[in-house]
Parts: sequence; structure tokens; C-alpha cells
Amino acid sequence: MKFFINIIGMMVILPAAVWARPVSYPGGITLMQMNDFDTSSIHMHYSPTANYSLGYKGEYWRNDDWHFQGVQINYLIKRWNKPASQANVYLKSGTGWAFDKDNKNNLAAFTGVSLDWEDRRFFTSYSNRFLEAGQITQFFTQNARVGIAPYMGDYGDLHTWLMLQIDHQPEKENALTTTFLARFFKGEYLVELGVTQDGDALMNFIIRY
Amino acid sequence: MKFILKLTIIIIVFYTPYVWGKTVEQSKQNTENCNRQVDVKVNGLVCDFCARALEKVFGKQEEVSGIAVDLDNGKVVVTLKEGQKIDNVTLTALITDSGYNVVDIQQGCYS
Repeated sequence: MKFFINIIGMMVILPAAVWARPVSYPGGITLMQMNDFDTSSIHMHYSPTANYSLGYKGEYWRNDDWHFQGVQINYLIKRWNKPASQANVYLKSGTGWAFDKDNKNNLAAFTGVSLDWEDRRFFTSYSNRFLEAGQITQFFTQNARVGIAPYMGDYGDLHTWLMLQIDHQPEKENALTTTFLARFFKGEYLVELGVTQDGDALMNFIIRY
Repeated sequence: MKFILKLTIIIIVFYTPYVWGKTVEQSKQNTENCNRQVDVKVNGLVCDFCARALEKVFGKQEEVSGIAVDLDNGKVVVTLKEGQKIDNVTLTALITDSGYNVVDIQQGCYS
């Protein structure tokens, strides 16, 4: 069991917030691999319908040295499709096990909502999350993003966004973290590269099958 | 002068049916091509990465040979295989599955 956990833990070496849509088209599979100043996580989900997805979620919190392995379900609560914009509200919840450096483990669960709005020039989003893992940890975190596209590419072009992300973790000594990042996507591939005000790196990768 | 007149008549007699035939053939081809094209105006089409869902969803349809996404005009152009048709109810369901709302559907030669 421990070996299995370690193997999965190694797979997660490289993220937690989900900034692309957590629900795909019916039958779609999405792989999200994310790394920021505090966490590395992987989330692979399958969408049976256009309204929800479910899949594996693993994450490693570097600073506090604990990790989570479990399942996550994402539900599209509401979508507004307008002639030149789109907005979404999602509920993202999961359950599994948390493990810390002293080999303590605990049942864990989390939930949170995500909101986003974008047109072809501007992007904005907000996401929060509450996680309960008994003796290992318990926290609330939230983050927000604003972005602008320096140019508007056609379908199939390489698209670029410049974004500012602010993370708020009330329990931490430094509760606010600001990250400047660039998002690039072409076809089914999306990459984000960024750096925080303290010089920590952000690197996210998403592929949609 | 008489020679030129005869030559002109010969050219007209032999060339006109050829040109006429070509024109008719071209016209038939154009009609057939545009009959295989469906223009769908949708709301919410703002993100290239998200619009990939359209390719995946329509790609599973046997009657569809390809799609073109026009982000500037919020339009999806669906090209059907020869002799195939797709009804508006199916089209609307496919667009909804892809995450968008249908505003208008124009089937075939409408302009």
C-alpha cells in the first residue's frame, strides 16, 4: 500500500488550482498538471456529459510536506453564453486520503466554487476551496485572476494571455501571493509559465483528449 | 471578310455548347458544395482552447466531414459528407454538448 502511495506521490512531483474548464465535452478526457509556489498537483478527469466530470486528483504540498490522493468531481452549476463572452460557475469537490511526513494519514475532503468570465480580450476568475484532513491539516484558500490577450488570434493560432494571479491563504504567515504569468495555448495544449513576487515559479500544463 | 464570318460562326457553333456545359457543371458543383455546408451561429464562442470541444464532438458524427470555427463572428461552419444531411435538432444537441448555445442555423444554399 505504501509503495503504491509513493508511486502516486512521485507522479505528483510536478500542482492545485484548476484554471481551465474542469468539465469537458461528453466523452472528453483532460489531464491537468500544475505547479505553483506551494503545491504540485495532477488532475485527470473524464466527462460523461457536458455538465460534470470526475477523475483522479493528487497533490503534494511542498512547504508543509503532506500529500493528498483521491477522487474529484466537478459540476457545472451555471453557464452564460453571450454573443461575445462566456461565464461559468463550477462546484469542485473531492475526497480521499491525506498523508504527512510522519506517515500519519487521515480521511480528507474538500469543496469549493470557481467562477470565470472571459471574452476574446479579457479574462477574470475567482476560485476558493475548503479542505479538511483531520489531524493533518485544515485550511481555506482562495485565488483570483485577471488577464488580457495582447492580440486576438484566429482559431488554430497560438494564443497568448498575460495574467495576474493573487492567492490568499489566511492561515499562512504571508497570506497573499502575487503571480505574474503568461498563458499559451494551441490546439489541445495549454501551458502557463509564471513567477511570484518572491521568485517562485509557476508551471501548468493541460492537454485535452 | 467572308472567311472571318465563317470562322466566327464555326467558333460559336462548336464553342458555345462547351462553355455552356462547363457553366452548368460548375453551377451544379457549387450547389452541391453549398448544400453540404451548414452555418451555425452560436453564443459563447470566445476561447480557442474550449472550442476544441466542437471538433471532438462533431468529429464523432459519421455525416460530418469537417468543421471550421470562426471566433470573430461566433460561427461554426459544418461540412457534410457527400449525400449526407444533418437536422437542426441534432445540430443543436451537438453544439450544446460542446458548451455553446445555438442562435441560428443556416442549412445549405441560402444566399
